[in-house]
This record gives sequence, structure tokens and C-alpha cells, in this order.
Amino acid sequence: MIGLRAGISLAIAVILCGALAAIGFAARDAVERTIVPAIAAQAESVGRSAASLVESAIAAGVPMDRLVGVESYLESLRTANRELAELKLVDIAGRSLGSAGAPPEDDHATQVVTSVTARNGAPLASLIITIDPGVVSDQVNALLVDVAFIGIVSLLVALELVALVVGARGTEALAALESRVRSLSQGRLWMHTDAAEQLPFVAPIDKHVALLHARHEKARAEAARRGDTEAVLNLDALSARTGLGTVHAGENHAATVIRPALFLFMMAEELARPFLPRLAGTMAPANLDLSRDLAISLPIVVFMAAVALSQLPFAVLSERLGRRRGFVIGAALAALSYAGSAFATDYWLFLATRATAAIGYALVFVSAQGHVIDHSRPQERTAALAVFVRAIMVAGLCGPPIGGVLADRLGDHMAFFGSATLAVLGLLVAALSMPRSVPVRDAAGVSGADLMAALKAPRLAALLFGCAFPAKFLLVAICFFLVPVELQRQGYSAAAIGRLQMIYPILMVAAVPLFASLAERHDARAGFVLTGGLVAGGGALLLLFGTSPWIVAAVLALLGLGQAMSIAPQSALVAESARHMPGGRSAGVLGLFRLIERTGNATGPAAAGFLLATAGFASASAAIGLMVVLGALGFALSGRSRASGQDRAGPGAATSTEGSRV
Amino acid sequence: MIRTSFGLILLFAVIAAACVAFGAYFSLVTLQTAHRKAVETRFGVTAERIVASAQTAAGLGIALPAQITLADLTRREARLDEAILSIDIIDTHDKVLFSSDPARITDSDGSRPANAVTRRIENDLAATIGRVVVRYNPGVLAEGESALEGELQTMAMPTLIGSAFATILIGVLLAAGLGRAAKRAADPSQWPRAARSALAEAEAAHAGVRGGERP
Repeated sequence: MIGLRAGISLAIAVILCGALAAIGFAARDAVERTIVPAIAAQAESVGRSAASLVESAIAAGVPMDRLVGVESYLESLRTANRELAELKLVDIAGRSLGSAGAPPEDDHATQVVTSVTARNGAPLASLIITIDPGVVSDQVNALLVDVAFIGIVSLLVALELVALVVGARGTEALAALESRVRSLSQGRLWMHTDAAEQLPFVAPIDKHVALLHARHEKARAEAARRGDTEAVLNLDALSARTGLGTVHAGENHAATVIRPALFLFMMAEELARPFLPRLAGTMAPANLDLSRDLAISLPIVVFMAAVALSQLPFAVLSERLGRRRGFVIGAALAALSYAGSAFATDYWLFLATRATAAIGYALVFVSAQGHVIDHSRPQERTAALAVFVRAIMVAGLCGPPIGGVLADRLGDHMAFFGSATLAVLGLLVAALSMPRSVPVRDAAGVSGADLMAALKAPRLAALLFGCAFPAKFLLVAICFFLVPVELQRQGYSAAAIGRLQMIYPILMVAAVPLFASLAERHDARAGFVLTGGLVAGGGALLLLFGTSPWIVAAVLALLGLGQAMSIAPQSALVAESARHMPGGRSAGVLGLFRLIERTGNATGPAAAGFLLATAGFASASAAIGLMVVLGALGFALSGRSRASGQDRAGPGAATSTEGSRV
Repeated sequence: MIRTSFGLILLFAVIAAACVAFGAYFSLVTLQTAHRKAVETRFGVTAERIVASAQTAAGLGIALPAQITLADLTRREARLDEAILSIDIIDTHDKVLFSSDPARITDSDGSRPANAVTRRIENDLAATIGRVVVRYNPGVLAEGESALEGELQTMAMPTLIGSAFATILIGVLLAAGLGRAAKRAADPSQWPRAARSALAEAEAAHAGVRGGERP
């Protein structure tokens, strides 16, 4: 049975797909009627200019059939305008006086004819330019891909807004009713404990089920009193089949509650991504003792470094403040920083506002992650973390195009007010939706010795250094550095490269919840982390067979699929290891995990740059892929050695569901 | 509960409509940007032709202010396209050296006009020695932009309204289904088949224990 909330979410997705497809078709017609003629006008401009030059030569007394350099001139025009397939100068008798290029295969190619006339207006020759329909069609298709991507962004924004409404407290009664109706349709007769027990729609259902549970309990007690073991066993089997005697704790909403606030906040930061380098470039003083490239990248470097360095201390600070308070303070700090960035005219002040925004960002990130881990049961943690990851990925997909438009329409500085507004909205949603903060007053600080001790937790070191670090290293090195550099070298435009790079986040958004749910269902987090590492790393090895855009697309798709498999189970495994840390130092382990991940982010481009210079694109990518594969295999072996070591410890040792001992 | 359901349905309809509007607006912005690019490429081609001439002369050792033939060239190129308002050759001190519009010569023009295409003129050492600025009639852009707006609006408005109504319709159907399911769930004799079967099994087992039989 599909509930009202799930059903309407699905319906909105389908309706929006149809509506956005209709807009896409309208966009295609508009492009054909408006932009294609603008491309043809370019050919007319070239034709008029070339004809004018020929007319000048003839006016200067050069006979038509003695014109020199016609072919090289036409060839230079063709090279400069790739839409032009062929340029041909013919006299009035139709004889060719010079040509460049070749006619396209398409018989319906558009031709632009410009007359070359004498001063008295008498026609002397014609310049015939044939437009390459393939190039125009490529441009139109690229534009339609951009429009389709906007459709995906609109759909994702809609689903996040739906999640915001569905997760609101006002819908608890509806959720309770749906949960009971769904249980009955599955033949499950368990009791539900939630805030809606006394509501009029729910109470009659609960009353019947409670009566049944009371009878079941009485029957079991009676069978036990009689000593009828077989009857007791049969009644217990009935309980297992139907849920009688079981109290259902209800859905876990930890991640659902945080998702809208996190999405809004993360989108605030992502808005700045497309215009930040340009803004930094315009703000950098001319007399700066840094290279221009470094000055442009410095705001990004400062942000990343501040986020990375804040991970460990903020893991503990967030526990001490309480998750909601941590989120709210972090979002407020970031919002003020974005407003500061909007007003800043001095480059160094701008850098300072980026650093404070990073501090707010790190506190929000750590608090949101802590909330999800604190409020999810171990068996639900992978799925909950998948929701957390998805909110960040969706924000990463939706933010840049919206930020780009804001910056184009309002200016780069003013676009930061968009970020500030979103951060404030995220703050308000978090304040209203997250549970009251429960500060952990005695949350322990983390020392180097504690971290060393943490690394001795079962398989944690192998997980962090074999999987978490290489995963981020691979992502940044391949997707964000090597692929753009290589495709640019092959002559692809920035827009085409950007479209190819979208394969990774789109696959992540679509596949993370699916793989997280499979990992939970099959109780195989470690297996998914291992397989994910092998798929993502193995994908990079494909580049040894070629570097065509199709192979690059396959590599990015395998990277997306592999990381979608591993990202949520990996976080859940770390959280699980952290739970076993003595002395309440679990926050430190999570901080260490994120620090190692972000170190992978930071070192990826530098190492990839070095490898690219020394070994070339394919070998550099393959070497990084191989490192990821070896890391994943190392993680797998750490589980085996541990399991076999503990097998010798005796049959009484507890076995985790991951195949290793805990 | 009914109020909550209908409130939710209306909210979802607003979300659906807002997201269609969002998609349409961003599609329009994307197309307008592409249109501007296509239009400006045309003026860019003109600017690049002048840049090529100026750079060739500079390569032969003729300083930019001394390239007096550029005046004729700018006038000739400007005459060829009625959408061009002026073509200026500007030095590194923002002084207009040559222009298709004589009134603009010697004007100091450090501004970056909105409807203009600029290309740098470089010497053999790739140092900038000036720039060519082609100012064009904004009407060329406005015409295309309003055509795009009209085309997308024609499709977006009915799509937006249709999406909202479709969401309300499906929401009402789902809410009615949930209401019926809630009523049936309140009466065990009308429970879904799986639940009735579980109930029958449980009642048989409980009766068996009460009667001393094994379930």
C-alpha cells in the first residue's frame, strides 16, 4: 500500500517530469526559431565582410580573375568559424574563383549567398557560404542537455521541498495512520508506539490490536503455566510471523528531520561555486605578491583548510553544545560570513569572511552528522547516513546553476546575499525541526594518544586509510582535476566538460539510497565498502585502454556507482567503530574520519598534477585507480586476518554481522 | 486529519507549480544566455577581423596610434552590419584612437558598456596594446529575448496550472483511498486479506490454548 505522502511525492516526480519535458520541447522549438537564425546571421556577417574586401580589391583595379590569396583568406575564415562548412567565391558565370572546405553530406544544409557588386551595383560574383548542420545541431543539442539538466535540478529541488513538508511535525498523525494501515496490509499485527496513539483515526485500530496482543500474552502465559513447550514455541513462531507481542518503534526520522535544513544550508555554500574564482580574480589587488592563479584559488584553499582543521575540535564542541545548538550557531556564523563576503571590497577581508564561513560550515556539518548518528539505531545507520549524504549531493547539484544565474543577474557580490538567505532558512528549519539539544557536558576532548588508540579499533585504520582517504583522493584527482585537464587538452569546451562531470553527482544522488538500503538489508556494509572501492578504482584502470570521451564517461559512471555503494556504509562502519571507543571519545573518531577524508580532498589535485606531469593522463589515472583497488583489498584482508585471529579465541567470541569480531 | 491531508495536498500543488515555474525560468535564462552568446559571436567575428589587421601591422612595427588605416576599416566593417552602433579602437589608457563614429574619437572610454563585444589587441610578446570594442544595438538582443520569453511562457503557464491541478487530483484520490483504508482498519472484519489471515491464525492458536489443544 502506498501512503498519501509517498504517493504524492511519486506523483509530483512524475508530473514534474512530464511538465519539464513539455518545457524542454518548447525550448527546442524556441532554439530552432531564435538561436539557429542567430548562428546563420554570423555566416551572413562573415559573407558581407569578405564580399566587401573583394569589392575593395576590384575598386582598386584588380581584375576579378586576378585576385590572389582568395583560397587562403577563405580558409582562414572557415578555420575561425567552425559553423561554416564551405566558402566558395564564384563569378556570374558560375566559375569558381576560390573555395575552402567541403560541402556537408546533408542535402538540406543552409546556404548564405552574398553578392559582390561593382560600385554601380552591377553583380560581379557571389560568395556562397554553406553552414554545417552538424555543428549547429551539436550546439542545439548541448543547449537542450543544459535545459534537461535544469529539469533534473527542478525535480530535485521539488523533492527536497516535499521532504521538508513530509518531515514537518504537523504530518505526524498522517504518518502514524499510514504506518498502521501499511502494517495491516502486510499482515503485521504489531503495536505502534508514537505520539499519535490517542488520535481519533488511529485509536480504534490500536484498540483492536491491543486486545489481540493481550489475548496472545494470556495464551502464552497459559501454555507456559501448563508446561506445554510446543505450544509456547508455536505461539512464538506466530509472533515472529505476525508481529503479535511485538512493539514497533515506528520509522526513524533522524535523517529525514535534518535533511531539509542540511540541504538548504549546503546549497548556500554551493551557490558561490561558479562565481567565486571570478570574484576572487577581480578582488585580488594588482600589487599582490602572489601569482594571479594563486590569488584566485586562495579563497577556496582557505575554506577547505579551515573546514578540514575544524573537524576534530568541532566533533567534540558539537557534542558539548548539543546538535541543534551546534547547527544553529554554525549556520548563523556562516550566514553572517556570507553577508560579510557580499559587502567586502578588500581581498584580505574577503578571505577572512571565507574562513569564518568555513568554520560555520564545519560546525553545521559535524552537528548534522552527529544528529543522524545519535538518533539512528545501528541497523538503520547506513540508510540514515545515505539520506545525509544525499542532501549534500543534491545541494551540490542544484546550487551551482542557481548561483550562476544569481551572479549573472545580480552581480557576484549580491549573489552572496542569496547564500546568506539560504543559510538563515536552513537555520530556521533546523531550529524548528531538530529535537531539543542535549549537551554532553563531559564530552571528552581528543588527544593524539586517543586518536592512536582509536586507530587500533577493529579494522578502523584499514577503513580510514584503505578506503576513506583513497575514495576522496580518487574523486578529486580524477573527476575534478585530471578529466577536465585532459578533455580541455582534447579541445572540449568548459560547458561540455561540465556536462560530463555531472555524471558523478547524478549517479550518486540516484544510487546512494538504493545501495544503502541494500547494504542494510543484506547486513553487508563491509562488502559494499569493498565492492565500491573495487568498482570505483577499477573504473579508472579503463583509461589504460583509451581516453575518448566515452571511456571517460564510463570511468566517471563507475566512480559514481562505486562511491554510491561505499559512501554511506563506510560512514556507518566508522560510526559503529566510534561507538566502541572507551571514555566517550566517539566524536573524536568521527572527527578523525572526516579529517582523513578531507586530507584526501586536499592532496588529490597536487598529487594528480605531479603524476600527470611525470606519467601522463592515462597512467596517472590508472595509478590512482590501482591505489584505490589495493586500499580496498587491504581493508578486505584486515577483516580476514582479524576474523581468523579471533576464531582461535574460541567459540564464545561474539561475531559481528560484518564477518569480523567486534 | 482531513484538514491536514488537504493542507498537505495544497502545499504539494504549490510546490509542483513553483518547481515548474523555477524550471521554466532557468530554461529561459539558459536560452537567453545562449542567444546572447550567438549574437555576440557575430560581432566577435567582426572584432577579430579588425584585431587581426591591427596585430599584423603591430608585428611590422607600426604602433597602434599610427595605424591610420584602421579608421577606414572600422567604418567599412560598421557599414556592413546595421546592428553595429560603433567600432572603437581603444589604447591601454582607455583613449579612443579610431572609431567608425568620428564623434567618439579622443573620448576617454574606460567603461564596459552592456551591449558591446571586446577583443584584445596584442603585440608579438602577447602584451595588450589596445582593444577593439564593437557596440551593438540592444534591440537585436531584446528582440530575440522577448521571442524566447513568449515561446516559453506560452508553454509554461498551462503546464504550471496543469501540474498544480494534477497534483491536487492525485492527492485527493490518495487521501480518499487513505480515508477508506483508515475506516476499514478500524473494523477487523474489513482488514486487508493478509491481516485477516494473520488474525484468523492468531484466534485459532489462542482458542487452541484455551481449549487445551496445541495451536
